[in-house]
Amino acid sequence: MKLLVISQSRNRAGRTVQVRKEVTADWIRVGRHAASEVLLADPRIALSQGLIVDRNGPVYTEGEMGTTTSTTRKAVRSVRLSPGKAIDVGPYRITGVAAPAGYTGAITVELVRPAEESAPVFLERARRLTLASLGLPKRGLALALFALVAAAFFLVPAGRVLDLPWRAPPGAAMASDRFWNPGPVMLAHQPVGEKCEACHELAFTRVRDVACLECHARIGHHLGPEAKPAALFAGSRCAACHRDHKGVKSTHRDDDRFCVECHRDVRSLANGAQSQDAADFAKSHPAFRLALPADKGVRRVRQGAGPVQESSNLVFSHAVHLDPAGVRHPEKDKVKLGCEACHQPDASRRGFEPVSMARHCQDCHRLEFEPAVTARQVPHGRPAEAMTVVAEFYANLALNGVRDSFEKAFGVPGEGLLRRPGEPGDAARRATLAMAAKKAAHVSEEIFEIRLCRTCHEVQRSDGDRGTEWSVAQVRLGHAWMPGARFDHASHAQSRCSSCHDVSKSKRSADVAMPAIEGCRECHGGSQPVAGKVTSNCLLCHGFHDPRHPWDPQFKPRSATRVAGGTPRAR
Amino acid sequence: MLEYARFRWFKVAMALAVAAGVAYLWHDPPLKPYGGTAMGYALGTVGALLIAWLAWFGVRKRRYASRMGTVQGWLSGHVYLGTALLVVATLHTGFELGWNVHTAAYVLMVATVASGFYGVYVYLSVPGLLTANRGDETLEAMLLKVADLDREIRDKALSLPDDILREVNASLDGTRLGGSFWRIVTGRDRDCPTAAALARVPELGRRLSGEAATANHEVYTLLLQKSELLARARRDLRYKAKLDLWLYAHVPLAVALLAALAAHVLSVFLYW
Repeated sequence: MKLLVISQSRNRAGRTVQVRKEVTADWIRVGRHAASEVLLADPRIALSQGLIVDRNGPVYTEGEMGTTTSTTRKAVRSVRLSPGKAIDVGPYRITGVAAPAGYTGAITVELVRPAEESAPVFLERARRLTLASLGLPKRGLALALFALVAAAFFLVPAGRVLDLPWRAPPGAAMASDRFWNPGPVMLAHQPVGEKCEACHELAFTRVRDVACLECHARIGHHLGPEAKPAALFAGSRCAACHRDHKGVKSTHRDDDRFCVECHRDVRSLANGAQSQDAADFAKSHPAFRLALPADKGVRRVRQGAGPVQESSNLVFSHAVHLDPAGVRHPEKDKVKLGCEACHQPDASRRGFEPVSMARHCQDCHRLEFEPAVTARQVPHGRPAEAMTVVAEFYANLALNGVRDSFEKAFGVPGEGLLRRPGEPGDAARRATLAMAAKKAAHVSEEIFEIRLCRTCHEVQRSDGDRGTEWSVAQVRLGHAWMPGARFDHASHAQSRCSSCHDVSKSKRSADVAMPAIEGCRECHGGSQPVAGKVTSNCLLCHGFHDPRHPWDPQFKPRSATRVAGGTPRAR
Repeated sequence: MLEYARFRWFKVAMALAVAAGVAYLWHDPPLKPYGGTAMGYALGTVGALLIAWLAWFGVRKRRYASRMGTVQGWLSGHVYLGTALLVVATLHTGFELGWNVHTAAYVLMVATVASGFYGVYVYLSVPGLLTANRGDETLEAMLLKVADLDREIRDKALSLPDDILREVNASLDGTRLGGSFWRIVTGRDRDCPTAAALARVPELGRRLSGEAATANHEVYTLLLQKSELLARARRDLRYKAKLDLWLYAHVPLAVALLAALAAHVLSVFLYW
């Protein structure tokens, strides 16, 4: 079809202006789309508003082309554009006019309701259509939140901590730095927990060891000064192992990691280390190193290389004393002894009271030197005094003794010299005292070398200018067998003594009855849990800090009462 | 946004999160995992750099002349690395939370990322609805059409009885679009006079007959068209508001996070 499209508008002077355009197509598109043959350039028009088709003359149709999104004209319309016939398409009016010769038809298109002429009332009530147009303060809100967070969480507390110009007066509620506390400190530290500066002494500086030593002044170092621990642990801090604010229970991890870091190959780090490599109690731990009495202090002997012999200078047989049939007693028939007869727990029940002659031995091992005459005993532990007691006894008996005692003691008829009638002469006196002295010397020799002392002690005889003397070797008992380990007998009370200390066949005091590591391993596993075994890490038996070696011998706390209130210190 | 450059940023973020997770599991902390171990410092540094970079997106998207990547790529990275930040920062905490500035920063970070997730959902779902709702019209076209309808209704309603005319005039003079937060965000106007007129005009017009009834029917039809247009326009406002609204949470939370992050880092090293 061939259609003449006359676009009609008015110029500024109000005159009608016509633009003619010839369109030839099978069907002619009407709409806002730029490709439309009849372009209606107005936002109120759909992209494809309608069509003009040739049905024996131009016919305008709408709604058949899927332009259903145009809700204003939903219904299908169809109008034959015969001359004079008009149809409103949105703000436009399309009017049929008489077709010139050669044309199928002709139309005029005129914008009859320009957008700016539409009633402005509604548009005025539809001005603020977006959130931005409402003036919602996105940026203002952001800045306010920023200021609030920065002030509450940093500027105000920092004002106090750093003594900044806006420092709040003391006691002001909001000036607290408690918002900075990352977590609770351990219970023992809670007295200083609210005083951050007790440990955090210097701003932007890590907590220094001196802050710890302020309270823990007597904490021990790992090693004695001979091992030069300061050099060995250079660069390490208390906080390398101890981290607070991590719960109320502990500041360190109760596992083997820190120990094993060095002790896995300890000699590569410390050339003179006496300990051997250890990594796990079950799998990698050397045999125990016992402390044995020596002439000066103790010597350390590691188990595992043949039987270990000690030298306590005592003569003692566990086997005899623990004879199931019992042992002889001076008064009773036979007594059966158990471990507890001599080894009694101390007050802490972790260890034992020292064995003492008076409490544990003397009931049987009486030190009677003349039992036929008297129940008197020589004093224990003092040989010279014992000899004096013996000498005085026989001298007195020789001078004052009644007949029965005199005869039993000296084995000759008679009685004490002073009991005899008449005044004794010098010769008789000297002869009597000489007899007493001879008897005393004989008895002394007997009790030191045969009857009493020798039973349990190493006795040394010396014949000098002053006559014969005896010395008893110092008994070396009561030392710590394993000074590097913590052992608590109370927590092993469910076991029999003999399960660790088998002494029933020990006939010599040189036998050492300390258990070997294999015995411990029957119940104790390593750091990894194993069924039926106590999981045992290093710290179960060992400690890092050795109380014998102060961490810093020169350290002096600045204020002993720092924990309680503290003196504010200049930063 | 999500599939930009064949999921390049997804892969980067995934690698970062997996690396952080593996490092966290591999690391054996002195006491327990927390922000102050060597691994904690490392994760914290990565997290802080991520936050700084993510926040820089607010600057980058306004720099129209910038040639440093496309904004689309930046947005894709922003989304994926923001998600990875959630993993990195959580591992940085060592799951140690409390009532303090450190947890405040963490909570703000989580809230910012969560609002960002909502934003992603909105950006994925709303534009399609917006386009479908608009059809091939613009909002301006809808408004002009409503104005046209108003004029047409005014012409046609002149011959109607007073009570009906009052309803119609209320619609013509009182109908509004937007204007308040609630009306924009809900896409409804409970007191819309057009809806009120639609409800009442048929009833009031029941007694009419002849030409008056025809005119009334025509006015009613036009009111119906106006109401439909209004509903679409309001939906359009609502969708556009939805695209904006989450940013009113995301941006202030992110800015507050920057303050909390600074307070967190400074306070930690002040009391080192």
